[in-house]
Amino acid sequence: MNLKDMFKKTSGRSHYISLRNSRPEVPTGLLRKCNKCGAAIIAEDVKNGYYICPKCHGYFRVHAYRRIEMIADEDSFEEWDKEMDFVNPLDFKGYEEKIDQLKERTNLNEAVVTGKVLIDGNPAVVGVCDGRFMMASMGRIVGEKITRAVERATEEKLPVIIFTCSGGARMQEGIVSLMQMAKTSAALKKHSDAGQLYVSVLTDPTTGGVTASFAMLGDIILAEPKALIGFAGPRVIEQTIGQKLPKGFQRSEFLLDHGFVDRIVEREELKDVLAQILRMHRLADASEVKAALKDEAKQNADEQTETVKEQIRDSLDAWERVQISRKKDRPVGTDYIDALFTDFMELHGDRYFKDDHAIVGGIAYFRGIPVTVIAQAKGKTTKENLDRNFSMLSPDGYRKALRLMKQAEKFGRPVICFVDTPGAFCGLEAEERGQGEAIARNLFELSGLKVPVLSVVIGEGGSGGALAMAVADEVWMLENAIYSVLSPEGFASILWKDSKRAGEAAEVMKLTAGDLKRLGVIEQVIPEPEEFTDENMGSVCEDLDGRIAVFLENYTEYSADELTAKRYDRFRRM
Amino acid sequence: MIGKVLSANRGEIAVRIIRACREMGIETVAVYSEADRDALHTQLADEAVCIGPAPSSESYLNMQNIISATVISGADAIHPGFGFLSENSRFAELCEQCNITFIGPNSQVIQSLGNKSEARNTMISAGVPVIPGSKEPIYDAEEGAKIAAEIGYPVIVKAALGGGGKGMRVAQTPEEFESSFNTAQKETQMAFGDNTMYIEHFVQHPRHIEFQILADEHGNVIHLGERDCSIQRNHQKMIEESPSVALTPNLRQKMGEAAVKAAKAAHYTNAGTIEFLLEKNNNFYFMEMNTRIQVEHPVTEWVTGIDLIKEQIRIADGKHLSYKQEDVHITGHAIECRINAENPAKNFRPSPGTITDMYLPGGKGVRIDSAIYSGYTVPPYYDSMLAKLIVHAKNRNEAIRKMRSALGEVIIEGIDTNVDYQYEILGHPDFITGNIDIEFIERRFMSKEAAQTQ
Repeated sequence: MNLKDMFKKTSGRSHYISLRNSRPEVPTGLLRKCNKCGAAIIAEDVKNGYYICPKCHGYFRVHAYRRIEMIADEDSFEEWDKEMDFVNPLDFKGYEEKIDQLKERTNLNEAVVTGKVLIDGNPAVVGVCDGRFMMASMGRIVGEKITRAVERATEEKLPVIIFTCSGGARMQEGIVSLMQMAKTSAALKKHSDAGQLYVSVLTDPTTGGVTASFAMLGDIILAEPKALIGFAGPRVIEQTIGQKLPKGFQRSEFLLDHGFVDRIVEREELKDVLAQILRMHRLADASEVKAALKDEAKQNADEQTETVKEQIRDSLDAWERVQISRKKDRPVGTDYIDALFTDFMELHGDRYFKDDHAIVGGIAYFRGIPVTVIAQAKGKTTKENLDRNFSMLSPDGYRKALRLMKQAEKFGRPVICFVDTPGAFCGLEAEERGQGEAIARNLFELSGLKVPVLSVVIGEGGSGGALAMAVADEVWMLENAIYSVLSPEGFASILWKDSKRAGEAAEVMKLTAGDLKRLGVIEQVIPEPEEFTDENMGSVCEDLDGRIAVFLENYTEYSADELTAKRYDRFRRM
Repeated sequence: MIGKVLSANRGEIAVRIIRACREMGIETVAVYSEADRDALHTQLADEAVCIGPAPSSESYLNMQNIISATVISGADAIHPGFGFLSENSRFAELCEQCNITFIGPNSQVIQSLGNKSEARNTMISAGVPVIPGSKEPIYDAEEGAKIAAEIGYPVIVKAALGGGGKGMRVAQTPEEFESSFNTAQKETQMAFGDNTMYIEHFVQHPRHIEFQILADEHGNVIHLGERDCSIQRNHQKMIEESPSVALTPNLRQKMGEAAVKAAKAAHYTNAGTIEFLLEKNNNFYFMEMNTRIQVEHPVTEWVTGIDLIKEQIRIADGKHLSYKQEDVHITGHAIECRINAENPAKNFRPSPGTITDMYLPGGKGVRIDSAIYSGYTVPPYYDSMLAKLIVHAKNRNEAIRKMRSALGEVIIEGIDTNVDYQYEILGHPDFITGNIDIEFIERRFMSKEAAQTQ
């Protein structure tokens, strides 16, 4: 019912006399319009928070000092090289005036702020680019401040974190600006060779010479959601190729898919994630490591090896075991990661082309000791399996694994691999990107990796695809896992031209854990309960936990040379 | 100045505010969500501004849009009503920043009274009684027993991280204490992985008694007597009355003075309510202060003859209180029943929908504050309160009879309401004799409901 026109309205301002005579007025700057969704937002709330639009959750750019406040412990920031003298290498006209104006407007000396902070108690050197200052383009002072900060971090054995944001090279400084790319990269190379950590955090926008230098050199590369990250700017690319670019091109998510970013981290969680990374890279005290692994572990293992012999059932034939190893409800790689480790931080990408979802890897704690964990990951549902390509790895997957292993080597972390693949992915793209090369490279590099490597075959150990993650100091198998030169079906069709004779093939191939132990291809067999699923994997994980502790205790004793020599002998014998 | 008020609310309270302004000759602006285009407040106001989609987070809680609507419509003051942004100190602060008169206390007062422990400390230092409790965390029964003796039995042991009744135990006597403490602590350990406990005096079968306060910007504070809001279901008030049968003139004076003291200690301005728990032995404890107009304000209006909304506007405009404490007299007895769109037989499930036909009672001593009309569709997005039926009579018995008579006339067709449920409460012998406390519904009605459903 429309009552509106029937009600009599208040007639003018009549008999109420107000005492006040001020008029409402929105002070300038109180309300702002979001440049992404257009909503009116209360600027102060956004500034006191994380510079995120409450409506569309879009990220606004953060000033350098506010950024430091967001991640640093209170009052822990100590600024370095705050004042640097202006340089104008090309005597560019009007450059000095422009810089002076910007200094006044932004209260910054240049486009980057560097110094030392504590993040949840962990010391680190930070560099933060500030886009208000000539779009944080890299001139000599930006390059110099970053280089000095990195050099000092190397000297003081501190990790480096750089928040990147840049339009690229500073045109006013010409070739000198270009040289900053080489200078900063060289400093980071020295830092890396000294075994020190560097984390880069890519924020919107990171382009040009900064992307092509320090932004992409992080041991770990984080990015904020939806940040523009690229070498050539999208407009330049569009003009050059005369095509419209797809939606999401050069955004963080695109880089994650393409293997160049380890993780996309929401701004609210950035401090926690950085603190965790720093903690995981703190030099572990050798005696602490010992204590964590000792005693109890040994006892457990002794007891268990006793019982193992009885537990392993010999009632199953090889073909039955092949079928069990492929069962849908069998625990998968990620189940073991969840059960055996804590604080797992997944890292993504091969840094060449792709993030292969058939492999899950990252850093985690085993009994408080940082380790690198890499699992060939089957899914639990069809949807997951499609995403994970049924754990058939692409060359990108092997390259991701290798990258994580080399990272582990740099930081002295043991590597623990879980093998579960029907075989390396057999497809056009895999060959185009060098499947054979990728596998070969892993065999080659793994043989010389200077940290302990353990591989556990948890399901299918399919051929070269499995071996590429099993050039290890020890290889263990679950009781019903299999490990073979190819599938029994393949074997039967090659030798007997009849894949239906797979059962027969399984028997003669000697692919069960027991057979392989007898052949000396593997070291240990882990017993399984009947009807092994993720529900009853507790006993297996307890067993594995004890065995891994013993393994780590034994192998962390060896020097790098002893380790690689032993690993060489292990395969030399075969 | 106040020449045009924006009512930042919906439903009957928005209508109530618009009516007060109309009577005062102040122009009104309503704000409404897309679901409230046909709502009464939208139609009754001189102007109406749409502030967003149906969900309240995007409309009635959308501070930016409400501020924008105020500035665009040329209103100079905002009345926040109750619920929504009424006790949001950030919103009050925004009004202050934009030079908009917020009809209520200032943002700092809202904030400090909204902080439970800060409010409690303010009251303790002002000498207003609060529920005695341990100041420090307690970890063992022996230490706890000492504190319990100081606090006075019965006591309740609570988990520091508690919630949902877990890790809570009452000890009636010192003999019970040890086992109660240990059980509560064990539960706490299980539920929260922590064994930090607190002990508080357990207020047994209390009444909910609240005092209406008016305070101007010139330091004058008065109270307008109490409201007894003990008839509650799941902490939702259902029936409120004034005066309370539990208060003697002496106790009323004592509690009223405490309420004034509390408001002064908080530097309160405008209309506010001090909530107390009243024990059988007449001990009373400060619970919290509500920094807004209350749903049940009409019962106070009727027994005191003071229009609270108009007073709120006058106070916000910087005027002196129109009344002194000695001008306030309680005359007769008023009762309010909340009429909600809900189905008591189906666990009070909300019942939105179109009101196909409607008849509401009237006559001497009957007041209805509502925003419904025949053909109105109750949207599913908001509170289910449809109307408040308020009666006034010489004494409590007459008021109860009038309420029963009026409830018996209420006809709302097309949706379910709690009218019959209210009618039944009004007829309950314990209600009639005034033998009520906050567990009344739970004890006398919910057990019956449970029995019926079995």
